[in-house]
Amino acid sequence: MKRVVSISLGSSKRDHQVQVELLGEQFEISRLGVNGDFEEAVAKLKQLDGQVDAIGLGGIDVYVYAGDRRYAFKDGLRLMGAVKSTPVVDGSGLKNTLERETVTFLLQNTDIIKKGTRVLMVSAVDRFGMAEAFAAAECDVTFGDLIFTAGIPYPIKTLQELKEMAAKLLPEMTQLPFHMLYPTGEKQESRDEEKAQKFAPYYYDAEIIAGDFHFIKRYLPDKLNGQTIITNTTTAADVEFLRQNGAGRLVTTTPVFEGRSFGTNVIEGVLVVLLGKPSSEITPEDYLDIINKLDFRPKIIELDN
Amino acid sequence: MATHEEISAGLQSFYEGYQKNSKLKLMNRDWNRVIRIIASDIDSQHTLTLQNGELTVTQGVSDQNPDLVVTSDSETLADLFYGDITPTEPYMNGTLVIQGSEDDIVRLDFISLMIWGE
Repeated sequence: MKRVVSISLGSSKRDHQVQVELLGEQFEISRLGVNGDFEEAVAKLKQLDGQVDAIGLGGIDVYVYAGDRRYAFKDGLRLMGAVKSTPVVDGSGLKNTLERETVTFLLQNTDIIKKGTRVLMVSAVDRFGMAEAFAAAECDVTFGDLIFTAGIPYPIKTLQELKEMAAKLLPEMTQLPFHMLYPTGEKQESRDEEKAQKFAPYYYDAEIIAGDFHFIKRYLPDKLNGQTIITNTTTAADVEFLRQNGAGRLVTTTPVFEGRSFGTNVIEGVLVVLLGKPSSEITPEDYLDIINKLDFRPKIIELDN
Repeated sequence: MATHEEISAGLQSFYEGYQKNSKLKLMNRDWNRVIRIIASDIDSQHTLTLQNGELTVTQGVSDQNPDLVVTSDSETLADLFYGDITPTEPYMNGTLVIQGSEDDIVRLDFISLMIWGE
């Protein structure tokens, strides 16, 4: 039995454990939230190091991308540095392939994505592959990185502007405590009422809302009007929450195990174990190859309101 | 140690950088804030006021209650507003103390990086 554990800065209310068989290998996959307690995350990582087959870092990004440039969060590197022997991943490697493929799949096989579809990506630097795929599909994309990360009501409309902003801001912003830029711990359980109201027009105007689920949830306005949500890390309760709040459809980019779509960090951890080589040596082609072998496809859930 | 005049000149440079950036004005049209700048080692105070995207810099303390209070030694303040250093490192090591909401601190950092960033 292979063990993959995700240590998340998020709420422990979302903890979960499943057993699955993938390509003939038995996996025990679990997620442990530390409720935003950074030191507890470091302690748990040290405890698991050498005891499990792969570790995922959840509720935090280590690496984000804009174009050819990669930016590393200081807090993320510190967590990664706590693990010395077990492969440790943050999901960014997989996001670049799996989520890009999700958009391509929906474009080629469904009518969910078409040229001109209005897409709100609540944040794009953490999912640059998906952002590029939407742009390549000629969607009308709003990149909400400034809106939802910094509270600045400025929609970024092109990948070029996103890259320029990232080059100006990310070298420094990534040195700030991660919780200043992203909802961690208890913030994941509550809505930011003021910003949800202020930024509601961006949600209402979109046909597709894509990206990090905690951002989507934290700023979700009162009642959507049938939008498609493309995300992951959703629980059965989240699916119900989206249904109640007027979302028309949920597309999860990662496979659903026992009603739960795990984060990309967890799935990347599983793939690293299956590939059997150091994560630093794994190429996007390796990920694509094994994703195809596993027949991972986006899961589409129609939400009848 | 920097002088009050050097901090004033640094703030003037910051102001000019802001004025030249029309995108930044657009981005801040919703952010009306009073920011007090205090040097901890000399007698020097300034007030930055943002109103409908327009920035004004005045010497001394405004009548309005500040939303943010930025305190540091005079050298750090002068370096910061001249763009010789970014706010992140002194903020993280405690040399630069900012009192205010976390959202406002991120926003002020953002403005500084938009003016002086890469």
